Amino acid sequence: MIKDAIRRRWKGLLLFLAVMGPGIITSNVDNDAGGIATYSMAGAHFGNNLLWTLIPVMAALIIIQEMSARMGVVTGKGLSDLIRERFGVRITVYLLFGIFVTNLGNVIAEFAGVASSLEIFHVSKFISVPLSAVIVWLLVVKGNYRSVEKVFLFACLFYVTYIISGILAKPDWAAIGTSLVRPSLSFSPGQLGMVIGLVGTTIAPWMQFYLQASIVEKNIAIKDYKHSRLDVVLGSFIVTIVAGFIILTCAATLFKAGVRVETAADAALALKPLAGKYCSALFAFGLLNASLFAASILPLSTAFLVCEGMGWENGVNKKFSEAPQFYGLYSFLVFLGAAVILLPRIPLFRVMLISQVVNGIVLPVVLVFMLILVNSRKLMGTHKNGRVYNILSWITVAVLVALTGAYILSFVG
Amino acid sequence: MHDDGSKLFLYLSDLLNRPISDPEGRVRGRLTDLKVRLGEPFPRVDSLVIRRRGEKLARVLDWSSVETIRGRSAVLKPGAESRLTGLDVGNEEILLREDLLDKQVVDTHGAKIERVNDVHLLIAHGELRIAHVDFGLRGILRRLGWMRTIDAVTDWLFSYRIAEKLVSWKCVQPLASDPKKNLKLNVTVRKLHELHPSDIADIIEELDRANRSSVFRALDTETAAETLQEVDPKLQLSLIETAPPDRASDILETMEPDEAREFLADLPEEKMESLIGTMAPPFRDHVKGLLKHREGTAGSIMTTDFLALRGDQTIADAVESFRNAIHPLETVAYIYITGEDLRLAGVITLRHLLLCDREERLGALMNPHVLMVETDDDIATVADVFNKYKFLAVPVVDRNLVIRGIITLQDIVQATAEEL
Repeated sequence: MIKDAIRRRWKGLLLFLAVMGPGIITSNVDNDAGGIATYSMAGAHFGNNLLWTLIPVMAALIIIQEMSARMGVVTGKGLSDLIRERFGVRITVYLLFGIFVTNLGNVIAEFAGVASSLEIFHVSKFISVPLSAVIVWLLVVKGNYRSVEKVFLFACLFYVTYIISGILAKPDWAAIGTSLVRPSLSFSPGQLGMVIGLVGTTIAPWMQFYLQASIVEKNIAIKDYKHSRLDVVLGSFIVTIVAGFIILTCAATLFKAGVRVETAADAALALKPLAGKYCSALFAFGLLNASLFAASILPLSTAFLVCEGMGWENGVNKKFSEAPQFYGLYSFLVFLGAAVILLPRIPLFRVMLISQVVNGIVLPVVLVFMLILVNSRKLMGTHKNGRVYNILSWITVAVLVALTGAYILSFVG
Repeated sequence: MHDDGSKLFLYLSDLLNRPISDPEGRVRGRLTDLKVRLGEPFPRVDSLVIRRRGEKLARVLDWSSVETIRGRSAVLKPGAESRLTGLDVGNEEILLREDLLDKQVVDTHGAKIERVNDVHLLIAHGELRIAHVDFGLRGILRRLGWMRTIDAVTDWLFSYRIAEKLVSWKCVQPLASDPKKNLKLNVTVRKLHELHPSDIADIIEELDRANRSSVFRALDTETAAETLQEVDPKLQLSLIETAPPDRASDILETMEPDEAREFLADLPEEKMESLIGTMAPPFRDHVKGLLKHREGTAGSIMTTDFLALRGDQTIADAVESFRNAIHPLETVAYIYITGEDLRLAGVITLRHLLLCDREERLGALMNPHVLMVETDDDIATVADVFNKYKFLAVPVVDRNLVIRGIITLQDIVQATAEEL
C-alpha cells in the first residue's frame, strides 16, 4: 500500500519534471531589469508598505497565465495563431507590430541592465554588451528547444541570490509580517503610481504569447495538464517570493537610510555601505542574470509570435535557412537592442516611455482577445472557462486594463 | 450568373463585405462568405453567404440567383430574396472565409504548411471558381490596404515590387477547421498522398494535435506505417495510441515484425496487449516471439524474416524458396542451412544459387564456419561483429544453437543510432 503510494508520488513527480519549464521560465523572466528596478524603488521609497500588493498581483498572474497554458495544451496552437484565425489579418498585423515595438524597448532595457550591473564589477559596457549579445544569440541559433530550456531553467536558479541578499540585509521580520497581514494603502499619488508600476511590470503581453508557444512546442497532452498548471502556479509563486525579497532588502536598508534610487544598479551600489559588499554584489549579480535571461527570451518570444501570426516558419529546432524570417527577427532584436546601449547619450528614458505606452495599448487588446478565445466552445470544448472562473478573470482583466491605463497616463501626464 | 464569355480574376478579400443589391439597385445586405463544394480540381462557388441589413443571422443564396458580381456591388436576379435559406455546411463543403482564409493549409507542392493570406478566384463561363491560394506577403499588404503605398515606395527606391506568391488550388490541401468532429477531411485528404512519407511526417509534426490525428487517420495504412516511422519518436506513441485499435494493428502489420516490436515495446502494457490481440495470427506470433526478448539484446532487434533450409535439400529447393520469399533483399542475402536437429550448421550466399547446379546438395556446398550471435547478446556485441566482418546480416541463435532470426545491417545501424 505505502509502497504503491510512494511509487505513485514518484511517478507524479517525474511527470511534473517532464512537463515543467514553460510556466517557471515565463514567470521568472518577468523579474527582468525593469521589474527589479521597480521593486527596488518600491522598497526604497515606501519600505514594507507595498509588500502586500504582491499577493493580488500573484493571483492575477496565476489567473492570466493559467488561461494561456490551458489554451496551449488544448488547442496545440500559439496565441498569435489563434488571434489570426479568429480576428483576421488586419488587427493581427497591427497588434504584432505593437508587441514588436514594446518588446524592442524591453530588450534595450535588458541590455542596459547587463551594462550597468557589470559596470558595478568594473567591466566596461563596450565589452559586456557585445559579448552578452553574441552569447545570447548563439544560444538560440545553435541550440534546440530542449537544450535552450535547460539553460533557461538553470538561469532561474540564480534568482536565489536575491533571497540571500535579502537575508544578509537583516530585515525586521516582525514588521514584514504585520505589513502583510494588515495591508495599507494611502492614496498619495506617489504610492498609487508605484502600485500601478508594480502591476505594469509584472503582467506584460509577451508573456502570454511565450508561455502558450512554449507549451505548444513541448507538446504537452491534455491529460498532463494538471502538471502544467502546477508549473504555472509555482512559477508565479517563485516570482512573487523573489520580488518580495527585493522589496524587503531595499526596505531594510535604503528606505531606513532614506536613500532614493531610480534604477536597479543604483540600488545595488547604494547597498554597499548599508548592507555590506556581499549583499551588494549578490544584488548586482542577480540583476545581471535577470537581464541576460530576459534578453534571450524576449527576442525569442517576439520572433515566435510574429512568425506564427504571419505564417512564417519558426522554431528553435529549425535551421537558419529553413526559417529565415524567424532568425532574422531574432537577430535584429538582439543586435539592435545591444547596439542602442553602446550609442553615446541615448535617451533611455524616452525609449522606455514609448515602449511602456505601446505596451499599455497592446495589453488590454491581448487580454480581451484571450478571454474571447478561451471562452470559445469550438476551440476549447469542455475546457473553456467555467462561470465563476470567467467572472474572476473578467474582473482581473478589467482591473489590469484600468491600472495600465492609469500607468500610461502617469507617464504621459 | 449568365455566361458573357469573359474571364476575370479577383481576390476573395475584394469580394468580402461587398454590398449586395436587388435588380433596382437598392442595397440589401453584404457578402460575408462564399460556400464551395470540394472535389473538382478547381472547385466551384455554389452559394453566397450574406447578411441582410438589420439581421443577425447569415443567409445563404444559391449562385444561380446572382445576376453579376462584377463592379462595386453584387446584383441579384429578380425574386432572389425569396430563395434565401439558412446556413448549412455539408460534409464536402467549406466556407472560404470561415474555413480557409487566415487558416493553415498544406502546400503539397512545397511540402509544407502555409497560412492562407488570400484566395484567388476566377470568373469564367458564368461560374466562380477557386484558382489559386495566396501565401505571399503581397496578400497581407492587399488586405491591410497598404499595397499601393508599398509598391510606390519599393518602385521608387529599388525599381522592384514584392512578388505574388500564388499556388494552384491543385496543390493545396485544406485542413479541417474543427477536426474533432469532422469527416470532411477524409474525403479530400487524398492530395496528401502525393507527398513522400517523410514530408508527411514533417507536416504532421508541425500541426496542432487535433489536426495531427485527423490527418494521420486519413492516410492509407501503408502510407501511415511509413509516415509513422519517420515522425519524431515522442509523437509516434501518441499517434499510435490515439488511432482506433484495429487500425493501429493494421498499421503495425504492414511494418517488418522487428519494427512493429519496437513500437509495441514502448507502449503501456495494456495498450500493447490489446493491439497484439487484434493482429492477424502469423504476424502476432512473430511479434510475440520478439517481445519475449529483453530490450537492448540481439533478440529484441532481430527480424524473423529469413531463409533456412536443411542440409539434405538441393539448390533447386533453395531457388524455389528464394522465389517465394517476399522479404526485403537484405534479409535474403544469405540462406542458412540447418542440421537434422535444427541447429545452425552453415550458410550459402546468393552466389551459390546463381552458379551451382540445381541438383547439388546444400550440405555439401555450405560454408560451415558461420558466425552467429546469441539472442541474449547485447547490441554492442552485435555491432562489433558487424564492424569486424562487414556482413549484410548475422544469424541469431538460442542456447541450443537453433536459428531464431537474423539481424541485418539496417537493423543494427538503427539500433545503435537510437542508443546515441
